[in-house]
Amino acid sequence: MSWKTLDRNQQAVDPDAPPVLSDAIRDRIRSFFDRYETKRAVLLPALHIVQNTLGHVSWQAMAEIAELLEIHPSDVMNTISFYTHFWTHPKGEKVITVCRSITCEVMGGSAVLDELKQQLGVDEHGTTTDGRYSLVTEECLAGCDHGPCLLVNEKMHKCVKPEDVAKILADSGNDRLSMERSELFDVPAGTSEHALSASSSGDGNIDTTSDVREMRES
Amino acid sequence: MATFEPVLLRNVGVEGARTLKVYESRGGYQAVRKALGMSPDEVVEIVKEANLRGRGGAGFPAGVKWSFLPKDRTHTLLCVNADESEPPTFCNRVLMESDPHQLIEGTIISAYATQSQIAYIYMRGEFHEQFHILQKAIDEAYAAGYLGKNIFNGDFSLEIYIHRGAGAYVCGEETGLIESLEGKRGWPRIKPPFPAVEGLFRRPTVVNNVETLSCVPHIIERGADWFTGIGPSHSVGPKLFCISGPVNKPGCYEAAMGITVRELIERDDMGGGMAPGKRVKAVFPGGVSMGVLSAEELDMKMDFDDPRNYSLLGLGTAAAVVIDQDTDMRIVLRNMARFYGTESCGQCTQCREGTAWMHKIATRIAAGAGRLEDLDLLLETARNMGMMPGLSICGLSDGATYPIETIVKKFRSELEEAIRSQPAGRVDRVLQVLN
Amino acid sequence: MPKIIIDNQEIECRDGVNVLQAALEAGMEIPHYCYHPGLKVVASCRLCLMEMQMPHPKTQEMGWVPKLFPSCQTPVRDGMICRFDSDTVKQNQANCMEFFLLNHPLDCPVCDQAGECHLQDYSYHFGHAESRMVDQKLKTPKKDIGPRTLLYSDRCVMCTRCVRFTEEISGTHELCMVNRGSRAEIDVFSGHPLDNPLQGNVVDICPVGCLLDKDFLFKRRVWELNGTSSVCPGCATGCSIRVDQADNHVYRLKPRFNPKVNDWWMCDEGRFGSDYVHDAKRISSPIVRRGLDETTPAWEDMPEILRFRFEEHVREHSGESVVAMLSPFMSCEEGWLLIKFIREIAPNATLAMGPVPMAGEDQSFPAGANGDAVKFTILKEKCPNRKGIEQLIASAGGNTLSFEEFVGQCTEGKFSAGWVVGGYPNEWVDKATAKIASKFQLLVVQDLFENALMAGAAVVLPACAWVEREGSFMNAAGLVQPFERAVQPPDGARHDGQYLYEIAGYTGLYSGERVRELMAESKADLSVAYEAPCKPVHAH
Repeated sequence: MSWKTLDRNQQAVDPDAPPVLSDAIRDRIRSFFDRYETKRAVLLPALHIVQNTLGHVSWQAMAEIAELLEIHPSDVMNTISFYTHFWTHPKGEKVITVCRSITCEVMGGSAVLDELKQQLGVDEHGTTTDGRYSLVTEECLAGCDHGPCLLVNEKMHKCVKPEDVAKILADSGNDRLSMERSELFDVPAGTSEHALSASSSGDGNIDTTSDVREMRES
Repeated sequence: MATFEPVLLRNVGVEGARTLKVYESRGGYQAVRKALGMSPDEVVEIVKEANLRGRGGAGFPAGVKWSFLPKDRTHTLLCVNADESEPPTFCNRVLMESDPHQLIEGTIISAYATQSQIAYIYMRGEFHEQFHILQKAIDEAYAAGYLGKNIFNGDFSLEIYIHRGAGAYVCGEETGLIESLEGKRGWPRIKPPFPAVEGLFRRPTVVNNVETLSCVPHIIERGADWFTGIGPSHSVGPKLFCISGPVNKPGCYEAAMGITVRELIERDDMGGGMAPGKRVKAVFPGGVSMGVLSAEELDMKMDFDDPRNYSLLGLGTAAAVVIDQDTDMRIVLRNMARFYGTESCGQCTQCREGTAWMHKIATRIAAGAGRLEDLDLLLETARNMGMMPGLSICGLSDGATYPIETIVKKFRSELEEAIRSQPAGRVDRVLQVLN
Repeated sequence: MPKIIIDNQEIECRDGVNVLQAALEAGMEIPHYCYHPGLKVVASCRLCLMEMQMPHPKTQEMGWVPKLFPSCQTPVRDGMICRFDSDTVKQNQANCMEFFLLNHPLDCPVCDQAGECHLQDYSYHFGHAESRMVDQKLKTPKKDIGPRTLLYSDRCVMCTRCVRFTEEISGTHELCMVNRGSRAEIDVFSGHPLDNPLQGNVVDICPVGCLLDKDFLFKRRVWELNGTSSVCPGCATGCSIRVDQADNHVYRLKPRFNPKVNDWWMCDEGRFGSDYVHDAKRISSPIVRRGLDETTPAWEDMPEILRFRFEEHVREHSGESVVAMLSPFMSCEEGWLLIKFIREIAPNATLAMGPVPMAGEDQSFPAGANGDAVKFTILKEKCPNRKGIEQLIASAGGNTLSFEEFVGQCTEGKFSAGWVVGGYPNEWVDKATAKIASKFQLLVVQDLFENALMAGAAVVLPACAWVEREGSFMNAAGLVQPFERAVQPPDGARHDGQYLYEIAGYTGLYSGERVRELMAESKADLSVAYEAPCKPVHAH
């Protein structure tokens, strides 16, 4: 039997490492405290915020969130592992989420997925070597009326055919939303939209992303 | 039927309908003004009279749900279930992205009726565009004084917050949703206590679906009689139907209940018939959890009662997906089994182990290594997971058994033939590799 | 007291319990994993489902509802009718057992839990003999989740008892679930291992071989162990425990249910604190010295020798020169016997209380709880019977001293004959105490290990550990609990109760019960009704 024993006594977080959650992130998380009766209820918003700004939720980030919400780190791990959208290790700048539900499969979604795998050279849950894309599948994206569909970060691509894949990948704005963003949640780090707003300061959306930029530059 | 006037979707396709201005210009936010002029109990009574049954899948009357709230409560919370995760359902998405203020108005009226101070809209994490649209609409409503303290310059105050999910089907179950809102894993709770007595943050809580709440302004505006006058007596009110798959016009359509599956596929103002060269082989008429119909069963009426006559679980979300003749039922079987295997929350034994086991079997069958006895094994596993009500805490387990059971029963000859035509010795070889 | 009918059998049940608890208390075997009477009900294993009768909504006629109900979640109501013996219920039990074993490695031959495993028992009683799954089993890793505990995930049935324990009882939250569905596992956040003072209990409440005690791992098959009812001497809480021994060796201590003391739990300090019992440095034979002459007399001669030496001393000096220091590790019976002996020889002899070991502060659980929310307390007073011995001394009256006074007066040379009882698991004779040995002409020292007083002692008596003795302890709350003898004393030693019984003038075999009768006859205030061992409120 080739089972190994995982040693959980080992520190997952270096106690001497500087904090990964900036003051801005912490303030953003705290701004949700008023909405709920318990701090624990802020956990999902906090995880979204951290993932949007840092790209993924590291062990250290989990421990720092736990401290902020006054819960045990294991409670954060418990919750985060239940939901499929959170990454506990670094992901690509853009995440391509392919719907694999029944309508999309009937309409040819698996061929789209295969094409993506081939063009990106990764399997499901893989990240390209240049770090630009991660590829995942999801159960129903609720876009069945225009299946097969996929998301590039937040942007939905509809009625995708295998031959469209190359075009989508070549489009640097393939994750740009067509509607006005709400400022409640940050633009995901690494998106073209972020790059855009960073270059054209004065846009109403960029206030929230300055801390991200600093972090990315450092 | 052709004269049916769409109500819920009346603003779909209208330029700028997402904005407060256009919504109001088309008669929006009048119902809420009317409701605020009544007592909360009067509003509850009207909704009860209208017999508005929940549109989320279970079909429980919304007004009755509201009246379960304890009379002596001081706090009440309203949760809007926008965790639309049942494949292939997208009507809530359409409502939220096309007409967000309709949902906000329905939420305000329902919050007033239940005397809720806060409404949380639990929106699934996959909805990004819809989040931004709805949040913008909420911001607009706040700015107009329709949300926040003393709305419409009256005594009632209401906060609406969107709470974003992060990828879990089971969070569409109302107590799973509540747990998820509390920052925990979305494990459905044991009942009693029911949410109306002890729900979110242990406070009396009402959970209603987006479509259900979107009906409320129209009921207030037009009266309960108008609502009960639409459709058969057991399934009243306008209803959204989704149709997807290889049809000419996949989409979300509004109609009275009681239309047949065939109508939904064929009618020009709905699915518009099958795509060229495609024939119906099977239809999941109410979201996958309700089970499948064969091509011979398309006369099933889409209402709260008739699906039972076709060994289906119920009306569900009234979202149909058509499977065409070119699709291998083994692939459909695998897709179903994988969905529930991935989405079972893992709390109850039967569901946790049963869904995973069925997934393994279905994957093997789809890979061309099925055994004839696997079909009976699937049926038995399905029965063991849902042979009697009460086997598990929530309905996911039942929902997982219906598609598997109906696929195997209604398409058994096709599956058997596929298994028989596998190359000899393949099963043994695959099993050898596996073990 | 509500009466309910289960499987055509009327049973009377306690108010407020659920049907499962009532059935278990009535002696029925109902399979269950997630339910534990000490933890919140989650009703997730779905193994204890039952059928119930309810009035028909239309005819009001009572009939079986075509639905299964979790018996752990259904409170008893007078007159309710339930059944577990129907085909549907039995089928569900069998199905569940099949599901539980689908991915189980079936490694019973090398599993520590084998023999006391509820997967084994339930499969045997309610399950199938073979698995119908031909596909690959899911393999999950073994995890070292803390200094004392291992977690073999592949044996887990996801009852979540352990997780609830760390949430509700210890309040330390180390354990959690990760992932969902069939891939769910129990885990800890790496670097925050399961390391709280009560963590050993998670191994007890694990119904299968998933959580394992490193201390006991691969030491002994459980069916070779014999259990004895006992009381933990680790602190003044006095947890009811069971001592599991084989071949005269104590392998493990397990908590025994006692609602007045510890419920189902015990702390790690007590659980793992008995190593000293098998310490090779224990003294095992008595020594008697006279001048330079040192002998090891036969135990039979001991009573006569001691009586003679003390009587001789009292004749030559006075009764007031005699002192006895009793230890809070003595049982009530032993204390009474020693007092009886000393006061018979010298009615005006002084009685002193030995040192009461203290460490840190009282610890309450769940961490941070107070009042009714407290589920478990570890006391800073690290001995089992301070209160019992104090009461015996008070009841005997006359000259009595605290330990500090005893050391002080001994140092002043007030006493020339003394009997000092130790029995502490750790070194207890400090420098000041060590010096008093030289003040005595006749000093009897009774202890587990050699101590600084012994060099100057006229008589050295080996003391025995509590597992080798029999008697009763009174805990900090005043509750008297008997404990039984689990193992034999080391070769050559004799247990304290027996020789004190003989020294106090009785003949025959010592028994705690007999001495308690004698105590009651001698003085009314000593006839404390001791707490009979609790009938276990079922908890597996």
